[in-house]
Amino acid sequence: MYAIEALSLSKRFGNIQALSQVDFTVNEGETFGFLGPNGAGKTTTIRILTGISAPTQGSARIFGRDIVRDTIAARRQMGIVHETSNIYTDLSAWQNLMFTAELYNVGKKEREKRGAELLELFGLTERRDDKTNGFSKGMKRRLTLAMGLINHPRLLFLDEPTSGLDVQSNLIIRDVISELNKTGVTVFLTTHNIEEANLACDRVAIINRGHIAAIDSPERLKNTIQSVQSIEVAFDPVSLVRVEDLEQIPSVSEVRKQGDKFRLITEDPPGVLEEIMEYSRNHNVRVISVTTLGPSLEDVFIRLTGLDIRTKGVKAID
Amino acid sequence: MTELGEHCDQVCTELHAAWAIAKKDIIIYYLKPNIIVSGMLFPIFMFLAFAIGRPEVPAVMIPGLIAITILFSASSIEPVSIPIERRMKTFDRLLSAPISLHTVVLGESMSGFLYSLGIAFVPLIAGLILFPTPIVGFAALIAGLVLTSFCFATMGTLFAAYPTESPGDIMSMLNLVRLPLIFVSGVLIPLEQIPQIGQYIAYFSPLTYGNDLIQAAFAGDTHFNPAIDVVMLLLFILIFQFVANRLYKKYND
Repeated sequence: MYAIEALSLSKRFGNIQALSQVDFTVNEGETFGFLGPNGAGKTTTIRILTGISAPTQGSARIFGRDIVRDTIAARRQMGIVHETSNIYTDLSAWQNLMFTAELYNVGKKEREKRGAELLELFGLTERRDDKTNGFSKGMKRRLTLAMGLINHPRLLFLDEPTSGLDVQSNLIIRDVISELNKTGVTVFLTTHNIEEANLACDRVAIINRGHIAAIDSPERLKNTIQSVQSIEVAFDPVSLVRVEDLEQIPSVSEVRKQGDKFRLITEDPPGVLEEIMEYSRNHNVRVISVTTLGPSLEDVFIRLTGLDIRTKGVKAID
Repeated sequence: MTELGEHCDQVCTELHAAWAIAKKDIIIYYLKPNIIVSGMLFPIFMFLAFAIGRPEVPAVMIPGLIAITILFSASSIEPVSIPIERRMKTFDRLLSAPISLHTVVLGESMSGFLYSLGIAFVPLIAGLILFPTPIVGFAALIAGLVLTSFCFATMGTLFAAYPTESPGDIMSMLNLVRLPLIFVSGVLIPLEQIPQIGQYIAYFSPLTYGNDLIQAAFAGDTHFNPAIDVVMLLLFILIFQFVANRLYKKYND
């Protein structure tokens, strides 16, 4: 049985076709990434899969339960971690957890045991009885994740779980996701952090303009665009190097400045390497490091969504 | 488990969840000192506004005052709390929980109901202590307080279905309904004394039946049979609950 089956999901809002014939399945125990630029249909898909919104056409099943006809039974299998840390800031961490447990019909003894475990797991035990309006962004995010796990879900929807967090919270959350996966929990991960999806997901789907553009494992997706290779080079002094000059090198299709380095996209890395050395001699700059890179999941994303990286930044896709 | 057993189990689960929502709202919104104090001051100001300069014995006004207090206290908090929860995205938590929309509406209404029931005791106790207002029908009083409170709490939840994150948007719409209700429901002017057209309109106001039922508890003298008041209030509760459910479903899609 699949954890999620999306069958020809379509959703129309007035004249806007938000989703069009979206088909995919998520296996039980899999960590599945769902990537796409803003407005691509990610949120609409999640709202349909969690039963908040109904599809205009098509259907979705959660562990075999139709999300429209059998909404409550389907939702009992899920934990949902929304994009915003939607906790009640006038309640304590403990009250937030207990309230969520009551919504999910978790018995008193079980919810108290599970609540204490989760507070410990997310490093919040000492703040258990504090109102959460004094919590940091990372603590609120950790509590949101704990609330999503209070009912021992078989399927966890994670919407941008680590976006904008401090290092400690990031590490705790990534570690918990990894551990969940080992215990057989299916994770549906929506993220803008492509590297996170690359590292955490068994498979990813890329959605663009309401259509699924690709679904596969990160490595296989990268293999589909092997032509997108690149050379990352650092010069000293960097101030003397101009992107426009590097773009003149034959067979370089694109140059991206990334911090103190330049990334040159090319189908001919050896040829470009020679040209770079020539450039450094002619312009009196020293090459201090060179790395040859294969295509990244980000390259796949950019290729499939047609996103213009030069106007949108490199890591933050939106 | 039999099908009936499963059904009963689901009903218990839903009621428990509704109570959890009500408890949450009471802690977050209703047990705030400013809300309690303003709720208690409201009937006092209403009393002064309508009693000063009027020839009637103040005791005559107590049932109407209780009815108005319930109308405003029961329907005021959800139109504020639900838009705030939309803004904080906590409302999504309720919408995505394994409970029906009816339970969300019921839970939200329960907190307003309990709050207004508590506030209604201010004019009730003041009436008993300060003025000669004996209660002649306890059953009518209990039914009147409970049903009227629940009816207007559900009405507040219904108005809060309007998809906005600004409480002011809902309060302005709500006041367009609540204020005229006071004048056409026999609270300030007995139904018999208002023009015929006003009497027809009064039949469509839940405040008419709530006020009439509470009047029955104090005066024993009413416009309708108390049984009709009870049936009509139950009908309004069902209509408000049904419409609220449909609106939340529509606006959250």
